[in-house]
Amino acid sequence: METLLQILSPDFLLRNSVYTSILVGFTCPLVGVFLVLRRLVFMGVALPQISSTGVAAALSIPVWLGLKQVSHSAQSEHMIAFIGSIVFTLVAILVLAFLERRGRGLPEGRLGTAYVVSAALSILILSKNRYAELGWLDLMKGEVITISNFDLTLTGIVLGVVLAVFAFFHKELFLVSFDRAMAITLRKNVVFWDIILYLLLGLTVSLAVLSVGPLISFGFLLIPALIAHLFARTMRQFLVIASLLGGVTSFIGFWIAYKWDFPVGPTDVVVLGIIYGVAWIIAKIAILVPEKHSTDIGVKNGKHA
Amino acid sequence: MNPAIITFDNLSIGYRGEPLLKNISLSITQGSFTAILGTNGSGKSTMLKTVLGLIPPVAGQIHFAAGNDTPLIFGYVPQTTNLDPLYPFTGFDVAVMGTYRRVKPGLFVSGKERAFTHECLNAAGAEGFAAERFADLSGGQKQRVLIARALVTRPDVLVLDEPTAGVDAAATHAVLEFISKIHREKEITVLLVTHDLPIVRDHAQHVIWLHQGKVLYGSVAEMLLPERLKSVFEMEVG
Repeated sequence: METLLQILSPDFLLRNSVYTSILVGFTCPLVGVFLVLRRLVFMGVALPQISSTGVAAALSIPVWLGLKQVSHSAQSEHMIAFIGSIVFTLVAILVLAFLERRGRGLPEGRLGTAYVVSAALSILILSKNRYAELGWLDLMKGEVITISNFDLTLTGIVLGVVLAVFAFFHKELFLVSFDRAMAITLRKNVVFWDIILYLLLGLTVSLAVLSVGPLISFGFLLIPALIAHLFARTMRQFLVIASLLGGVTSFIGFWIAYKWDFPVGPTDVVVLGIIYGVAWIIAKIAILVPEKHSTDIGVKNGKHA
Repeated sequence: MNPAIITFDNLSIGYRGEPLLKNISLSITQGSFTAILGTNGSGKSTMLKTVLGLIPPVAGQIHFAAGNDTPLIFGYVPQTTNLDPLYPFTGFDVAVMGTYRRVKPGLFVSGKERAFTHECLNAAGAEGFAAERFADLSGGQKQRVLIARALVTRPDVLVLDEPTAGVDAAATHAVLEFISKIHREKEITVLLVTHDLPIVRDHAQHVIWLHQGKVLYGSVAEMLLPERLKSVFEMEVG
């Protein structure tokens, strides 16, 4: 209890880390809902990794070119990292989406290749920049400790924009995801709405990776949405349960990590995993979820027969 | 005779520039009930997708005439298997999508539009299960919800893609009777894709028959004469 009061205190040293974790915890599951519903779970794995490669590249390239000192200010470093993250993520999303629309090849193969190549590229970049090991490996591990006021503000603004766009345009985003043909007959520009969705996805993933690292980002994109899907009877329930679960778990995870001196990211993800396991058992026992609801997420990745 | 609402002008349809059916010229009249009939792979769905604007024509043109220079509104009823059961939408959530052409992006669906959606669900006999999860409904119930959604669009043309696929005989009869009823009462143009000859015989007025690259168009009475069928398709039809 003492730890909890300490974390909730306005003078708590790591309060920015708590607020950022909670912001990411609330927002990532909303984007994750679309990944799950569109059967693009593997994209949720690949994108955070590609995003973190973008961070590593953006911070390394100026150093290699001798354009920037390593000891530049935290704010400018964060902005450079954000730009690298968003550029890599959006380019990857647009290329993958274009290839998916062509409908040729194996989507899982493309995403798997993108994941493994970007992971390897991150390691190569880090191996050639010895300064990187200090801060970036913490990022890769999900150590949410050094979050400045600027980082928190940037995260708050970007995620606020994402939430606002979802709130106002959810009906178009759901329509083009659920019934593309119907959307076309209603004269909706499906490509435009797809791009909006991918932009939101890119922004959220980039910010989340930059704030809390790829591991937590993937965990919060996927697991809350999967847990919520076990119990939700309506789309509104699905979104609310997933988002609340993400926000509350991020706080509980932080509390546990602080109390027992664990890294925050892995703690959050393990807590989510435990909740998923318990929820699945409860759902089965209570027969709240008929067999057809638990569905084969990811099996038909991207396509429904 | 009613004016033409959809005209195929030397139309060729297919995918990626490869024509499946060539040089089709015919007119579908306003207020008619037309069935697109054919076996699997004959081009029924390709023709439907071309009419709906989901794929472009390979050659030729389609002309639409809705009057008052307004674009034609299609009330599209897809096959239920095309809709992913992963989405936790209720029957009402699905039906209310029919309002999205009128409710502009960024705006919420008004109480008036929601009331109209309930009205259409009621007319389609789907109000009783509108609050249930769409994925949990039976094939016939899903069809009723999708027909309600098509009516919510206030369509000029009701387009149904094999509405009886995966639906039992009793539900098939009920769904087709309902479609015939709204066709008569609202004088709405109906375009029905099917491979079920008895359905065509019982409900349609005109037939577009696709068979081995040939396209035939005419009234049900003339198209389904056994002698004609035999001469054209070189097969016996019971």
